[in-house]
Amino acid sequence: MAYDPRLSSAGTATAPSPPPPPPPPPEAMGTTTPTTQPQPTSTPNEANNNMVAESESSSSSSYKLRFCTVCASNQNRSMEAHLRLSTASSPFPVISFGTGSLVRLPGPSITQPNVYNFNTTSYSQMYDELLSKDERLYRNNGLLNMLERNRNLKWGPERFQDWVPGQPRVEHVSKGDKGALGTEGGVVDVIITCEERCWDAVVDDLMNKGSPLNRPVHVFNVDIKDNHEEALVGGKAILDLANRLNEAASQERKTSGVDGWENGVGEARQNFDARVPDILAEWQEKWPHLPALWTLAWL
Amino acid sequence: MAQSTDHLVDQIAQLNAARNLVLGDAAFYPQIVNGVLPLIGASTRLELRRWGSEFLAETFASPALASTQKEQLAPNVLQTLREILELPEKDPMVLKHIVQNAASLYPLVFRHIINHPAEATAWENMTAIKQDILRRWDSFPFPVKICCIKFVQRVIHVQTHGPIADPRRPEQNETSLAIVPRNHAILSLPNLEAEASGLLDRLLSVFQEESSDPLLVNATLNCLAVLIRTRPSVGNKIINAIMNFYPARQVRAPITPSVRVGVKSMERTARAVMINILKRNPNHPLAGKMQQYIDRLMQSRIEVADEASRKRGLPTEPTDGLDNTKRAKLDAETPALIKVPPLPPGPISYSQLFTLTEDRELSNFDVKQLPTDIVLKIVVPLLGRVDQSMMQQSIEAIRMRYQTIQKQQAAQPPAAPAEAEDDDDYEPEYQPMDIPEPAAEQAEAVSAEVADLQPDLVSLGPFVLPQPPPLTEDEAADIGRSAVGRVFGMLTSTGVAPNPAKGKSQQQLGFARLAGSTFDRDAWVTLLTRLATRAPAGLEPGSGKVEKGKAPISDSIRETLYRYILEDFRGRVNIGIMWLNEEWYNDRMQMEFTAQHRREEDEEVTVPLHYDHWVLRLLDGFLPYLDSRDTKIFIRFLSEIPEVTIPITKRVASLAKDPERVNLCIQSLLYLIMFRPPAREMCLNALEDVYDTYEESRPLAGKLLAKWRPKKTEEQQQQQPEGQHTPSQTPQSQSQQQQQTTLASRPIESSESNTPLTNGTDDNPNPTPPPPPQPQSQPDATPTTT
Repeated sequence: MAYDPRLSSAGTATAPSPPPPPPPPPEAMGTTTPTTQPQPTSTPNEANNNMVAESESSSSSSYKLRFCTVCASNQNRSMEAHLRLSTASSPFPVISFGTGSLVRLPGPSITQPNVYNFNTTSYSQMYDELLSKDERLYRNNGLLNMLERNRNLKWGPERFQDWVPGQPRVEHVSKGDKGALGTEGGVVDVIITCEERCWDAVVDDLMNKGSPLNRPVHVFNVDIKDNHEEALVGGKAILDLANRLNEAASQERKTSGVDGWENGVGEARQNFDARVPDILAEWQEKWPHLPALWTLAWL
Repeated sequence: MAQSTDHLVDQIAQLNAARNLVLGDAAFYPQIVNGVLPLIGASTRLELRRWGSEFLAETFASPALASTQKEQLAPNVLQTLREILELPEKDPMVLKHIVQNAASLYPLVFRHIINHPAEATAWENMTAIKQDILRRWDSFPFPVKICCIKFVQRVIHVQTHGPIADPRRPEQNETSLAIVPRNHAILSLPNLEAEASGLLDRLLSVFQEESSDPLLVNATLNCLAVLIRTRPSVGNKIINAIMNFYPARQVRAPITPSVRVGVKSMERTARAVMINILKRNPNHPLAGKMQQYIDRLMQSRIEVADEASRKRGLPTEPTDGLDNTKRAKLDAETPALIKVPPLPPGPISYSQLFTLTEDRELSNFDVKQLPTDIVLKIVVPLLGRVDQSMMQQSIEAIRMRYQTIQKQQAAQPPAAPAEAEDDDDYEPEYQPMDIPEPAAEQAEAVSAEVADLQPDLVSLGPFVLPQPPPLTEDEAADIGRSAVGRVFGMLTSTGVAPNPAKGKSQQQLGFARLAGSTFDRDAWVTLLTRLATRAPAGLEPGSGKVEKGKAPISDSIRETLYRYILEDFRGRVNIGIMWLNEEWYNDRMQMEFTAQHRREEDEEVTVPLHYDHWVLRLLDGFLPYLDSRDTKIFIRFLSEIPEVTIPITKRVASLAKDPERVNLCIQSLLYLIMFRPPAREMCLNALEDVYDTYEESRPLAGKLLAKWRPKKTEEQQQQQPEGQHTPSQTPQSQSQQQQQTTLASRPIESSESNTPLTNGTDDNPNPTPPPPPQPQSQPDATPTTT
């Protein structure tokens, strides 16, 4: 359970920890919900509810798939994609991970990389350390810029293999992680890796986890070279893929509304899952230099 | 309606707030779940059912909620789920979540009924849900179908025998048939097991269908890994089913991009499953086959998916009846060709004859070390499993080898015909001597040693290239010319640059220097000049016998050298000087040699002399191109060639014909008069000639004559007859004349005194100080005698 030290510092998520920050007093909920069922509430916790309601109403009008971006160190490619997805005009819920054993950043020479632990080192710590080590070097190779971007997105790099799907991520919302809204449940619909090695690692790890959630997840790979320029292009491409997927998913939700799935016509009648290969093929035609891969795995 | 919509929005918002609460603290789950259930039941609106089914699915999947709590919550929820399902529910979203939830609930309820056989309702509900799902599996919309795969996998997982980690603590064991008591009131082990087996077959049938949807295949593959890992009883069955599945086989005619995506994803997923198993258990009994399967997947993917994608631009209709897919399949079915390493040269042993592996270690392994019974155990199953085509190929390869050896032996000289005929006969004689062990076991080793001792016995013999037929003279000359041509080609190419530090290194080397040892351009020129002059000396027939059109090799080199120099005579005048020095030296040596070996009787022995001919030819070649600015080059040439003859002075004098080159002519002559005393008289004569013939030269020539030959008029009279015939003579006839110079008429000097007056370019083997001035009459005498 001690997989993420931040949990203890943030003081949430695990059952015995101190009370969670946002929700209303439990007594009120506990008593009101079972008895007063369908009545419109005017409970004292309106402020909180409104906040949630706002986000929920906007998301119910426009359905959002939940995404997870993955690269080796959760620094460059996955974070660029994280940024893109979470700051798009209609932002997506997104979390991000690295599949490496350690976070590796380039150092003064190829044999002296800067190495950090996943989950326990924040982007800010890395930023400060590199700044004090050799500002000129790390300014010029773009590392400081990258860390600056990352620390505005979330606290620090997380390791995919340490992720427990379904483990609530409420504290990430309260900490203001970008893209955290909608990922409170700790599940995603789509995982996008940025390198075949990572895709292999993700698919393998999901098999090892034994799919306790029984929940399907589409795992894509979009092969992106690990440099800043390619990461920018790749981020754009991933956003494009996300938009296409989300389009199909919300179409499915609309057509299969009250009227039912049978009344849909043409492409809309086809469901989201079945359309994924076509969507990816279409996307690949537009981005031929980012070879893609896909499978349907289980969380 | 608007109000009810508002109402709905509010309700959803409330529910979301509740969800946020439990996400924040799982301790509230029992309260919230029980409170929410009535809101989302079968009779409520679709939005609420959707929300509810999703929330329940999330609840029972959540790792934050302890499974004992889930077990307690399950009975109530099951009732609701069953009601929704039997509505009958049609919305795929709701169905999807219900099936998901059922997958999570099944092990919980199963475990619960094991421990609480009395609470049958929950199990009854669960069974009803299961039956409903299984019945509608094939008719469900796609997303639900996918979730059904997972549900069925869960059911199989539960209803097969799992590992017992610790018999003393049953609560820690995985939920499986293994923890069901044999005499359970409700659960019947055989029935459950049979059901699981049937479901597994149904699950695996996706791999046997003609064309499967990649989604279903991937979903199945991805959930099978855990079954293989934790359920050894069905593991091998699953692995074999996967290994019989080749996604590439499912490719149908129009290969659209999405078909490619699908095929690639199935291949990669199948590979991922195999790798996942191999990683966990590298010693898996099927490991070898799984590795092969992975390799074959990779191969077929390259062939089908990628190949097709690269060839997308080509016309889609098959050309000459072989389109890409067909070709790929043919390739895939062709058995791998075995590699037959060539036999080592020389005599070979039986073991070498039968060895097809190139692995040195393997071929050195002595099979005799193994006891017979073990060998039997290995060989018999091996033979049973041997690949037919591999076996055929191997036999064919050995047969070919054997036949080749037989032929070679038959072709061997009949020195030892008896031995070569049949080596089997030969063996027994040697066995007792060489090897004390029983012969029957030792056939190979024996023959190997015998072969070593008796190379002729099974010998292939070293192959000796037969002598080529002798070259005709023409062919030899042609080859020689082409060789020379190549050397010249190299000279003109930029590859061989003159050594930049030449001057310096030469000074350092001094007398120790050798000609042509530096491998730069100069060295090659030296080589060529010597090749032209010295190499064939004495080998050539007398010049009189030379037939037309059959110039000896040396002359062709000379001709090429001549052209090479003329191509750029200003830059290559050095080479010309070197060459002419060599010619002159060679002429001297020839004459001396012939004089020594001359017998009294043959007076008319002639030596072909080349210097006179080639110096005039070269001069004639570049004289027309000389202009007044070339004074330095020309003077250098004249001063450094080894001998100045009258024809040469006449050529120089002829320059005065051109008013522009009068100066050049007179300056050259003046130089020779001043610094080449042996040629002084000749040059003065030429100068007088010029003075008499060409008016433009009078001012300059007159001054010089006044200084060097005051009594000009008398001399002029004497020189007249000699000067007369020169203009009429063509260079050709003159050179002919000089070449034929008889030996008798040509004075022979000692080699010392003959050393040419050259400087930098000199690389004679006997570098001697410049000789004393020659008697002037010597060169002059030559042309007059014929």
